[in-house]
Parts: sequence; C-alpha cells; structure tokens
Amino acid sequence: MIVSWDWLKQYVALDMTPAELAERLMMAGLNHEDTHQVGDDWAINLEVTSNRPDCLGHIGIAREVAVLFERELKLPAALPASSGERVTELTDVTVENPKQCPRYTARVIRGVKVAPSPRWLVNRLATVGIGAINNVVDITNYVLLECGQPLHAFDLARLAGRRIIVRQAREGETFLAINHKSYVLDPSMCVIADAQRAVGLGGVMGGAESEVSPQTKELLIEAAEFDPMSIRNTARKLSLHSDSSYRFERGVDPSGVDWASRRTCELILELAGGELAAGVIDVGQQPAERQPITLRFDQLPRILGIEIDGRVARRILSALGNQELRADARQVEVIPPSWRRDLSREIDLVEEVARIYGYDKIPEDASVPMAPSHRTETDRVLGKVRQALTAAGFDEAMTLSVVEEPWSEAFSPWTTAAPLRSSTPVLRRADRLRRSLVPSLLGARQTNESLANPVIELFEIANVYLPRGSQLPEEELVVSLTSGGDYFAVKGVIEGVLVALNPAAELLVRPIWNDLLEKERKAHPDSQVRAISDHEFSALRRAIEIGIAALASHERHDLFERWRRAGDAEDLFVAEFLFQAGFSVLTAQDRQSLSLMLGGAKDNYLDFEAIRVRLVALGLADRRELLMPLATGEESFALTAENSPSPYVATSARRHQLLDAQQAAELWVRVADDDELLLGYLGQVSADGLQQFELRGGTTVAELNLSALAAIANLIPQYVQPPVFPSVARDLNLVVDEGVLWAELAGTVRLAAAPFAESLTFQDVYRNPERLGPDKKSLLFTLTLRSPDGTLTGEQADLVCSSVVNACHAAHGAQLRA
Amino acid sequence: MALAEFLAELESLEAAARQSLAAAADASALEAARVEFLGAKSGRLKSVQKQLGTIPGPDKPAAGKRFNEAKLAIEAALTMAQERLERSATQAAAAPFDPTLPGPRPRLGHLHPLTQTIEELKDIMGRLGFTVATGPEIEDERHNFEALNIPASHPARDPLENFYLSVAGVATGEPLLLRSQTSTVQIRVMESTPPPVRIISLGRVYRPDTADATHYPMFHQIEGLLIDRKVTMADLKSVLRLFASSFLGGDVHIRFRPSFFPFTEPSVEVDMSWHDTHAGGAIRWIEMGGAGMVDPHVLRAVGYDPEEVTGFAFGLGVERVCARRHGVSDIREFYRNDVRFLHQF
Repeated sequence: MIVSWDWLKQYVALDMTPAELAERLMMAGLNHEDTHQVGDDWAINLEVTSNRPDCLGHIGIAREVAVLFERELKLPAALPASSGERVTELTDVTVENPKQCPRYTARVIRGVKVAPSPRWLVNRLATVGIGAINNVVDITNYVLLECGQPLHAFDLARLAGRRIIVRQAREGETFLAINHKSYVLDPSMCVIADAQRAVGLGGVMGGAESEVSPQTKELLIEAAEFDPMSIRNTARKLSLHSDSSYRFERGVDPSGVDWASRRTCELILELAGGELAAGVIDVGQQPAERQPITLRFDQLPRILGIEIDGRVARRILSALGNQELRADARQVEVIPPSWRRDLSREIDLVEEVARIYGYDKIPEDASVPMAPSHRTETDRVLGKVRQALTAAGFDEAMTLSVVEEPWSEAFSPWTTAAPLRSSTPVLRRADRLRRSLVPSLLGARQTNESLANPVIELFEIANVYLPRGSQLPEEELVVSLTSGGDYFAVKGVIEGVLVALNPAAELLVRPIWNDLLEKERKAHPDSQVRAISDHEFSALRRAIEIGIAALASHERHDLFERWRRAGDAEDLFVAEFLFQAGFSVLTAQDRQSLSLMLGGAKDNYLDFEAIRVRLVALGLADRRELLMPLATGEESFALTAENSPSPYVATSARRHQLLDAQQAAELWVRVADDDELLLGYLGQVSADGLQQFELRGGTTVAELNLSALAAIANLIPQYVQPPVFPSVARDLNLVVDEGVLWAELAGTVRLAAAPFAESLTFQDVYRNPERLGPDKKSLLFTLTLRSPDGTLTGEQADLVCSSVVNACHAAHGAQLRA
Repeated sequence: MALAEFLAELESLEAAARQSLAAAADASALEAARVEFLGAKSGRLKSVQKQLGTIPGPDKPAAGKRFNEAKLAIEAALTMAQERLERSATQAAAAPFDPTLPGPRPRLGHLHPLTQTIEELKDIMGRLGFTVATGPEIEDERHNFEALNIPASHPARDPLENFYLSVAGVATGEPLLLRSQTSTVQIRVMESTPPPVRIISLGRVYRPDTADATHYPMFHQIEGLLIDRKVTMADLKSVLRLFASSFLGGDVHIRFRPSFFPFTEPSVEVDMSWHDTHAGGAIRWIEMGGAGMVDPHVLRAVGYDPEEVTGFAFGLGVERVCARRHGVSDIREFYRNDVRFLHQF
C-alpha cells in the first residue's frame, strides 16, 4: 500500500517527518518498505499484513497515525445532495447469487460532464502510482485508495435494459475487460450483467463495453461486497489481479460500502457535475451486528509479561474505533469496529493494546526457569555417523527430496511401490518423492565431475518416502554414499561407521542376486525366464503373506485344497508360488517333508515358520526379494523331491540394475543371536548406471537404513578389562574352491577356534591354476589367539590351528597350503 | 621348573627384547640391548636357556622348540634394529632435514554448512532447555493447517501455495501435502504430551517458490515452542535474546514488530541488533524470524486449556541464517554440492 503524505494530511495532522512516521508505523505493524519523493509529495510504501485490509486505504493508515500520535482523525461526512427522481425509477438491480455477492448497492447520477481531473487529484493518484483517465474513473480509484472499498462506475446508457443482474457466469461466456483483453468465464465466477451480457467481472474488473467515456452522461455507481474466496479463485483462474480483487480477497468494511458510494457521488457532483437521483438501491444482507468482546485487564500481564493500566488499555481500544459498552477496574467490554474483522476474541484485544502501547516496553531480561533437555538418540547416532564419515573423507551433501522420473526409477532398493508424487513439480520436472538418495547423489557427483573436481566423496542423510497404502507414508531416514573408491573401500568405510557405533557390531554381507537371471538362463536354457512386473510383484507380496499365514495355520492343507478348488486365480497363484519358492530353497529333507504333508501325511507336516525364516534369510519373502515361479498349471503340482524346476526370476535383477551384477551386496547387521536387520545396499555402479548419470569415473554407492544403525548403536559402552595374557598369532594359507566365500570360511574358522579366536584378519587371496589347480584360490589370513586364563603355548596354538584346518576341510574342502 | 612358568618367562623376555631393540636410538644403545638379551655369557636369553635343564623330561621338547623360536625372533629384531640405525645414519649424512616439507595430510570430509548451522542452533537451544522433536514431512491438512488455526478460506491453503500430493498416490483419499512449516511437529508433540512442553522442531519444509538467489522450493526451518503456566511475551523476548547472544556472541538486543501469523496471537517479527563490522561497527537491526504467543485456538485444538497455560513459539529459516553467517549470496549453492563450496566450511 503506497501512501501519499499530502493525501494523508487531509485526515490527520502530520507534524513529524516522513521518516519518523514510517518508523512509528513499522513498530505498530505496518512494515516500511521505502519512501520516495514524487513531485512535491512523498510516496510511503507500507507492507500491510493479510489480516489488516482496513489499512489498504489512506483513512485506515490515518487512523493508525491518529492513535499512535494521539491526534484527531478528521473524516469527510460524504453527504451528497440529491434531487429529482428516485433511483429505483431509473434502474433496477437483481442479485441471483447472494453467496458470491452478499450485497450490491447502486446510485445514479445523470448529466455528468466527463473531463480530465483537476491537478490535485491527478497528483495524488500519481504519488501512489496510478495514472489519471478521466474525472469519473479517477474518482472511483481515489475513493478506493481513500477507504479501501472498490467502486465501479457504469455508463448507464450503455447497459442493456438499463439494469444490473448479478449472476454466475455461464460456462464459456466471454468477457471483454477494460484492459481490452478477453476472458472465458465459468460458473464459479460472478459477473455483473445487464439484460444481455456480462458488463463486469464482479469485484475483479469492469467491462470495456460499459466503461465511462467522454460521451457518458449517466452513471450507475456500484459499491458492493463480494465473497473473498470466490474473488480469489476467479482472479487466479484468469490470472487477473486488480486493486479491487486484492481488497475483496481480504474483505472490505461492510459498514463502509454505503459511505464509499456516497463519497464517490459527492466527489463526482463536485468535479463532474450532474444530479444525484434520490436514494440508493441496496440489495442483500446488511452488515451483521458485531458481538461484544470482553478484555480482562489481568490478561495483559498474563500474556505480555508487563502491567498495563486498565485506563490506558481502554483509551487505546477506543481510539482504534472500538465502542465501549461497559467497563470497571477489572475489565472492559467493547464492540469492535466494522472495519476490523480480525478482532473477535479477547486475545485480539490484547494484541491491539500491546502493539499500540509498544512492544519495546516488554523487557528482554525475564528470568525464564531452567529445564533439562536431552539429545535425542537419533541425534547421537547421527552425530557418530557424521563423525565417522567425515573422518573417512566424505563431504556432506544436501539434495532435493523430490526427483524427476528417470532418477526415481533408477534405483529403489527399499520398495517396489510406485513413488508418491506431488501434484505440481517442486523444481523443473521433479515431482517424485524419492525412494532412495542414491540417484540424487549421483546427480551431485555429475555436477562435481563437470566442475573437474578431482575428489568426489559425498554422503547425505535424509528421508526416503515409502508409500504405505493407507495413512501417511513411511519416512525412513537413510545414509547414502557415493565414492570414487571401489567396492571394498566403501565397504571398509561402512565397517568403520559400524565400529564407531558399536565396536562389537558385525556386518553381514549377502551378494545381491543381480546376475540371477543369467545364472538361471545358463542352468535352465529351456525355461522362460523374465523379469517380474510391478503389478505381479505386489500381487505376489500380498499373496505370500496370506499364503504363509494360512499354511502356517493348522488348516494349511485344507485351505490349500480349497483355494485350488475355488479356482481363485490369485489365491491359486499363492499356493503355486509357495510351492515353488519354498521348494527351490529347501533342503532335500524339507522338500520331502512338504511333499509328505501335501500328500496327506498330516502328522509329518512341515514347519512353515522354518520356511519363512529361510525365505527371509535368502532375501525372498519379507524383503520383497521374491522369487517368482513361472511354471503354470498342473505341472507345478507335480513336484517331487528331485525335479523342482527353477525358472524363477529375481525381482532384484531389475531393482538393482543400477549396480554392477557382481560387485553388489545386501548388508545386514545382527541385533540379537537370532535376529538380523537389513542395513542396506552397497555396490559399484554398473556401466549402464554410469551412462544414465553421465558419469565418466566409476563410483561405488551405498545406502544404509538409520534405524538399523540405531538398533546396533551402543551409546553407553561398558568397560571391559583388556586381556592380561599375551596373544599368539598364526598365519594360515588355505586352498579352497572359487565358490567358497571368505565370510563362509571365516565363520568356520571362528567357530573352530573358539574360544581362543580373538581376531581373524584377511591378508590376501592368491590364484594360480598351475600351482593350485583350476577354479581354486588360496586365502591367506592371520588368526590371533588368546586365552583369558593364561598364556597360550605354541602347542596349544598349533592344536587350535589344526582343528581350524580340519574344520575348514570338512566344511569347505579346504587344504592347508604348505 | 614347570613348563607353563618357563614359557611365560620366555614370552615376557621376548616382548621386552623386542621393545628394547626397537627403542634403541643409536648404536651404543643397541649394543647395550644386544648384550643384555643376547650376550653370550650373561645375556638374559642365556640364563633362560639354563633353566631348560630343569624342565621335566616329557615337556622338554616343547620347551626347547619354543626357546628356539624366541631366540630366532629376538635375533631377527636385532637385525631389523641394526638396519634401521644404518638407514637413518646414511640419510642424516646424505641430506639435511627439511622440516618445512609437507606431511601427508589426511583428507577430512566437511559437514554441510546447513548441518553445521542446525547443529549450532540445536546446541544453543538445548542449553536453554529445548529438546529436539521431529515429525513427518508429508502431512495431512489437520496438522499443516487446521490445528494451526488456518481455516479452509485462508490464502495459505491455496493449492498453488502448497505441494499437495497427487490423489492417485494417497489411498485414503485424504489430501496430503509436503509440509509448509515445521509447526506441524509442534502440533504432534502437543497432541501427545501434556504441558509443560519445551521443544524445538526442525527439518525440511516445502513451498512453491521459484528458485532464485534467496528462494528455493525446499528449505529448513527451526522452530521453538514453550508451553507452561505463566509463559509471557517477556519470556519469549528473553529466550530470543539469550539465543541470539549465544549465536552471535556479545550483547545482542531483540526488537519486536507486530505481524500476523494464524497460529500466534499476538504475532511479531523479530529483529536483532547487529554490529555491522562492514559499516564501522554501526548497530543495525536485522530480521531474525517470526514469533508470537501460541493462539488460544491452537491450544484448544490440541486439548490444552488456554486459561491454564500460555506459550510462545518462534521460527526461523536456516538457509537465511546460514547464508548471512557465512556470506553466501545465493542459497542455491547449498543444494548444488560443489565440493569446493562444501570444503569452505
């Protein structure tokens, strides 16, 4: 709201400088943006908050000035003389949509002489940035900026039927506004029409066809009230914002409507001549009576922390236009002014008193009682994670939570559910709430590559958004990494993070079956192997839950038969799936049991919980890494212990295609002897992945679930006495088949060397077909042994080592290499 | 002598020998160590060897084997020590020591400047007794608007002023949106906790601003909330002064300007005095954030009695604070993740 200093002076004496005025207004709630000189006048630009539409006119500002400087406020009475015919004989107003237009008033002036405005009017409008058009239009603009009530003057002679109909716009109705642009309307909009067509867009803009021109002789002056929501929607839909719509959106003074109409007429008679018809057409509801509000004076110190004398509070409220009904030493009851719709409660009056009295009177040295606060566990875990990662040379990145579709589809290890989407993109085309941070980090990596930054080691800690069907989606805090190092470098960093949280933490690594498709194709060249679709996948997920529950119950066999007979496609699918998935991962003995069960040997049933555990352990069931059987029809039921087909397909193949087929793994942590949690994923980005993200250098990525990290964190470690007896180290060099994983061998070694195994350190792997034989490798490691009870002798250590070698031989066919 | 005793002695002797030999700083120290442990006449190894004879017959071979191992190990350690001394002697003679050569510097990662600012703000508020609370970024209308006294007619609820989620993704059909302020967390805490409440909520918030030097459609907010009996605006001003003084150091003053937020009444903009070092130490007021007394409607919406308790809330944008603190002129830099940028903090 731009205020003219010269104009303001009309209502209140200004004996301060513009700077002093602006400062005082700012401290009372009207933020000062700037002041600049226009001719002999000052234009003071004030920011008006949305709750104070009364300050969208000079009078409203003048009232604040009068209250703040304790000056008198002088307002025009606006009592134009009327003569001649009654207005009702000259025109007629019908309102068809009182919801959108609760009140419409019209006055008529005949015999006006449209001409340029006088100098003073042109100047005042120029100060506030409005160009002059003619005296009538300038006056409606002037009164709008005087009191905040928008007005419109129609050329009465150009209104078909010389009448006004306020109605909803018709679907597709077109309207030519005074800005000479044409708009297509819909029924959510309110138009001012004559007997034939829309001549104004109610509360937003007048029409070109009825605008006041130099030929105009008769005027219909509109002063009305429109529904704020309706105006806002109309203005936005049409991208047509005006001084009028701005004010109607915020609500005008219902009691000021008629004053504004009279004031406009008064000025027109004065500057453009003519005769005002007697009376007013006033259609719709009259201003509602305001409810009284009581301010208890003891609420002032209770809220503000300072004592304010009741008499001072009463004086402030009255000066602001509140009408005092009754008062005593304890409280005052007032009717708030019609232009202050924001005042309806006691707390509103407390704020009024406070802002006029001055917030500067509130002390800033109150003694606030002390209170304990604690650092949340999440924060403590995050602190340790950040410390470990920065120590490992990783910089923390922050990226947008919402990504574009290709990134969203590039990697989604935690869920196969479709991502949530925002209805409008957050930035450019980004409208998918991300299911992984990895693509965003690869994007940041690309940025850094393009800047030729040599070392790019980034991590981010943020939420991923996993749809949950109903309720709010799951927001999981994850830690993601992108590194220029290889798989093992990043694995080492992750191990370091775990150790920072809990020195005893154990990282379990399971290869992702990314190459499963390939393996299966090779093993079963005749089977049809294909990737599973999202739809099939979610059906499966639901199915396996039902199926497992049912099979685990005592009715398992009956239920199975019932599904089969009912022929319910999905349920039958469940059964088939369980067969296949179950069979393919079972031991021969288990298969035998299951066959027995399904063959009717009810006592010899299979413990399906055991199957479930296996499925989970193999990454099949709970974690959505389902294996899908493609065998169909009766064939699938003709399973025997030995011929279970395996034309199954890993969904992981598709979900992890960002990662290299070989160098990728799932990471798990052990939280109890028999309980493991999925920690996350680690892998080198595949060549395709690098190409998608336009990366030149290779990168290894990882994403870890914070709740799993929190589950293993030992935030208050307990002291353990360091061992008192010396340790003995032995290097062992075992030759095994290529298929034997280090973790498997290490597990056997630890078990065999218990309880003396203190640490087991991998040293090297050696391959040489000539010396070791084909498909063989030699694993070199150091086993450190220590006894809590005494110094181990060389013989004891040798004994342990030989039992280790024997155990490794038994379990993995390992041979000690001389 | 028992075998175990013998082995233990041998073990400690070996350890002591390795240590002495490794610690020898010059040739004479090394020679002294050699004589001590490997001396042909009265070296300590010799005296242990003599005890071999006292080991019972059956244990003798084991003891002897171990003795030989220890002897070999100590001799190897001696050789290593000799080589070490020779090496340093030749180096010292060949080239003068240049203490100004760089050491191998470990590459340390840097925390994001926003994290650093957030941690500092959390830290300060923690000392003032405020505990961190977090909540979901995807919210329903009740928590993002209704409980915050933002009725359906309020302009802030305009779909264009918010990031609503597509209906397709929301099974219940209830409109969900990316939260536009962290006050949602305050509502969630108050709904589940009886007063007193003393928390700071913080996290990512989302508003449809076009990205430019001072706007980004996602930013971080930090908001404080204190609800108790007899909490006043004087408490608010005092807490904010402690907060600002802790953050900026020195004697900072707080100024309130009336403002309007749906969830507080009275509502104020908060300024703090700032000694502008660029302007010769002149004091000027800079905007800090918004604040106010929690609106009675909000207290009622979470089941509190506004006649019983009062409270204050304040909030500030982390990006703005951080950008000003570090002289970052374009907040988009925070989300570009240029390593050269990150490494400055």
